[in-house]
Amino acid sequence: MKVKFLFILLLLFSFRLQAQNKVLPVLLSPVFGEQKLYLGTDWYHIALADSIQIQVLKFYVSKLRLLEKSKVVWQEENSFHLVDLENPTSLKWNLLIPPTITFSQISFDLGIDSITNVSGALGGDLDPTKGMYWTWQSGYINFKLEGFAPSSSANKNEFQFHLGGYQYPFLACKTIILDQINEAGFVIEIDLKKVLVQADLNKVNHIMSPSIEAVKWSHWVQKSFSISPE
Amino acid sequence: MKKRFFLILLVFITIFAFRFRSEPIFVAPKNWPKTSYDFKKNPLTPNKILLGRALFYDPILSKNNTISCSSCHSQYTAFTHVDHSLSHGIDDRIGNRNSPALTNLAWHTNFMWDGAVNHLDMQALAPINHPSEMGENIKNVVAKLQHSHLYPDLFYQAFNDSIINGERLLKSISQFMLTLVSSNSKYDSVVRGEGMFTSQEERGYLLFKKNCNTCHTEPLFTNLQFENNGLSVDPFLKDYGRFRVSQNPQDSFKFKVPTLRNIEFSYPYMHDGRFKKISEVLNHYVSQKSKVSNLAKELSEPFVLSPNEKVDLTAFLLALTDKHFLFNPSYSYPREVFFGRANGK
Repeated sequence: MKVKFLFILLLLFSFRLQAQNKVLPVLLSPVFGEQKLYLGTDWYHIALADSIQIQVLKFYVSKLRLLEKSKVVWQEENSFHLVDLENPTSLKWNLLIPPTITFSQISFDLGIDSITNVSGALGGDLDPTKGMYWTWQSGYINFKLEGFAPSSSANKNEFQFHLGGYQYPFLACKTIILDQINEAGFVIEIDLKKVLVQADLNKVNHIMSPSIEAVKWSHWVQKSFSISPE
Repeated sequence: MKKRFFLILLVFITIFAFRFRSEPIFVAPKNWPKTSYDFKKNPLTPNKILLGRALFYDPILSKNNTISCSSCHSQYTAFTHVDHSLSHGIDDRIGNRNSPALTNLAWHTNFMWDGAVNHLDMQALAPINHPSEMGENIKNVVAKLQHSHLYPDLFYQAFNDSIINGERLLKSISQFMLTLVSSNSKYDSVVRGEGMFTSQEERGYLLFKKNCNTCHTEPLFTNLQFENNGLSVDPFLKDYGRFRVSQNPQDSFKFKVPTLRNIEFSYPYMHDGRFKKISEVLNHYVSQKSKVSNLAKELSEPFVLSPNEKVDLTAFLLALTDKHFLFNPSYSYPREVFFGRANGK
């Protein structure tokens, strides 16, 4: 009886050992062209005569997946990450993955999918106290970018882009797939220059609700992600 | 070996006893449609309901601690704001819509006159943040609750620890709102075969079924849809209704069909509270509407109602008054929570 019991216990432990995950470190690095991006004081040049300052950069990353030859080999459970440039720990993920898998691509959503958007009150990074939920109309804000630019015609030359929308035709959640990632860890760059050179801040300097403009901007942001070559 | 068998049996009996002992808190009335709220994600418990009820009645939710949910949703008027066409908020600011009656919310899929809110849990965020209602934000509310004398205790009793966050706050308010079920009007007793209409009410019921039931569908007395009922546009409010949410021109001036339950007490009527009396509402429906393309098809021709028929129909509408709902002590101001404890501290 005792021996049997011990045997089962041993078996369970060996399973546990085998299931021991390894850590995959992933860093997010917001940049502006060649420069590293800092909030607040620094000015970044978009054009010869124009520059910008970033006050807020906050966005959701969800549905993290690793792929090999376009096949999903791992997906994170309950995968919602609020990335906030003001909070350095949110720029560093330690993903727990099985030690045996091989992969060369990462895929994730920029924003929150439609089903989660209609699922009521949620906790953790999705808690409405995080300031990423609209109140006059239900829905998560996928991406927040705020700052100043002399070219903005708004009061105090500010701009505010709150991108979101989970209902057709204003679906703003975008899937991003990045290739050639290193199995030992990698850095994901988000280059805001790629986004802001396309914008006309004189004309559009505020997006505060789901709209065609928000979808267009979400597409620009989607294209600003890449794997850092270093 | 026998001993062990009995031990296992005992465990099973205990589990079963507990299963049968706990009666469900939310019981949908017989023959009603299925509820829309997902109770599995937020199972009702007495302590959570009590917490939600305290929050509902506590002005701590507003910026200057003067306005609670109940300010514009009072029980005696079927949880709406009687006598005010538009809702009032902090600093006597006036909102832009008539506060809706809170009744049978477990069956609703979206909220507000324009359906801007997609889940009961998220509903409270709108009035909390609206500058003309509570003018607050949920992050501040959570901080205020954390520093109060009352709430860490109430959250502990509800959740087994005293962590206060946005999710718990919103779900608790939902818990209380879900209990606001009105299903004990005279109409309901007739449907259950326990009572009888007067002949006047009976005539009114037939008129109701002929003219009103398509949109104000029994037993909820709303089809939960958005319709343009042909009201002229208020030039001051310029409220486009559902269009604001969907951006679809076909949704212009559509508003959510309100329930008629407790209509006797929920005046004034319409999204902007423009009608004070049921008779004014009926007069609207018998009058010719301007021909707008998205007018509800049921209203393309005005209703034909004689003065007597209007009285009959009104008699039926008054049979939707549910005194059990309006005076249910478990929905009222939780004096024992606010005073029982505050004095004890």
